[in-house]
Amino acid sequence: MTMYAKPIPKINEDSRPFWGGCKVHELRFQKCNQCGHVRWPPAIICPECHGKDTVWITAAGHGRVYTYVVYHIAYHPGFKGELPYVVAVVELHEGPRIFTNIIGCSTEEVYCDMAVEVVWDDVTTELTLPKFRPVK
Amino acid sequence: MLESGFCKYVVISYGHNAVSSDSMTTMLMTLGQDEEAFGHFGATGSYALAAQRAMYEFNTGPETWKHIAVGQRKWANLNPLAMTYNRTMSYDDYMNARWLVEPFRLFDNCLVSDGGRAYIVTSAERARDLKHRPVIIAGLGQHNPADFPQSATFLAGPTGAQIAGEAALRMAGITRDDIDACQIYDCFTYTVEITLQDYGFFKPGEGTDWFQGGTIEPGGSMPVNTSGGQLSEAYFMGLTPITEGVMQLMGRCGERQLGPQTGTKAPENILCSDNGGILQCNTTIILRRA
Repeated sequence: MTMYAKPIPKINEDSRPFWGGCKVHELRFQKCNQCGHVRWPPAIICPECHGKDTVWITAAGHGRVYTYVVYHIAYHPGFKGELPYVVAVVELHEGPRIFTNIIGCSTEEVYCDMAVEVVWDDVTTELTLPKFRPVK
Repeated sequence: MLESGFCKYVVISYGHNAVSSDSMTTMLMTLGQDEEAFGHFGATGSYALAAQRAMYEFNTGPETWKHIAVGQRKWANLNPLAMTYNRTMSYDDYMNARWLVEPFRLFDNCLVSDGGRAYIVTSAERARDLKHRPVIIAGLGQHNPADFPQSATFLAGPTGAQIAGEAALRMAGITRDDIDACQIYDCFTYTVEITLQDYGFFKPGEGTDWFQGGTIEPGGSMPVNTSGGQLSEAYFMGLTPITEGVMQLMGRCGERQLGPQTGTKAPENILCSDNGGILQCNTTIILRRA
């Protein structure tokens, strides 16, 4: 296994289907069968209607930058070599918002509401991170 | 508890060795969940996300925040207890400081401090017989929108301050115009702007004009964070703003005392705020001179 110097997600029973989806390059989210709300983070009940009947759906991987920041300081040594880098909250067309990185453009080119698409970063043999890049 | 007779005096305290230990960093670095995998850590990053969205929605930014950082520093320069008592700050100092998490520069961030604060709450009846002139809790409001930072719809306001502020003013039986000074929880400069905006002191995006000309500074029409606040005095969570509100109304603030000597109004009502999480909860307290 590759030596990986950054924090890895603390995968639990709720989030396992999401990270398992990333492994096969699918963005999976829970959808409430009662009201249709697509949610993140995963939970046993719907935050909108408290319904328990849930299915996992696969999102298309398109969305917009809701907001973003540019890190100029490495709070974890694993990110020292990447400064400056962009952390964003991306809102997917299906509704959920997730933390991610914007890659494939300079930090100055990122803006709120920029259209982005998922790009898969297989960081180890075990872990794939969903990152986003501008839609060309 | 006081009304029912369970207790007579309640001490509310906060103490931390945040500079000389790694406990604050450890706490902040364990706040995160899976976002750490993307290099997102602590409070600075998430408040910066909120501030960036606010820049987009109502055109705020460093040109507004510099007035907050510099204004509060002027108060700290009158407060011998402040960590930055001997260090002045100009607008250039603010603008030339290094980026931490853009759009936040160094001086958008609060201090990390060793120390503590405490205040005592008792009934108004008991307080009348005590040595110091008491301060009355005239109004209290809370509102906690609570959602995760990534799904929050309140990052650019309205935060909990809007409803909490209305409730506190209603209980105190006064309007915003009766407020003489504010002690605002100021983990970041932007927190001060969005909190005052949500209280209705100015409309979204009009903060830049409102802060111009030293509004919050010594000599200003609405003094804010008169100890220097968490940005320039010391970070003791919600105890920094509330203890300053109490001390000002007691008249125990020395060189920075509100009134003629600082070119401000002698205060009758001071509004204090506390804020938790990533703008996820707000408590507003109106303190009144007894």
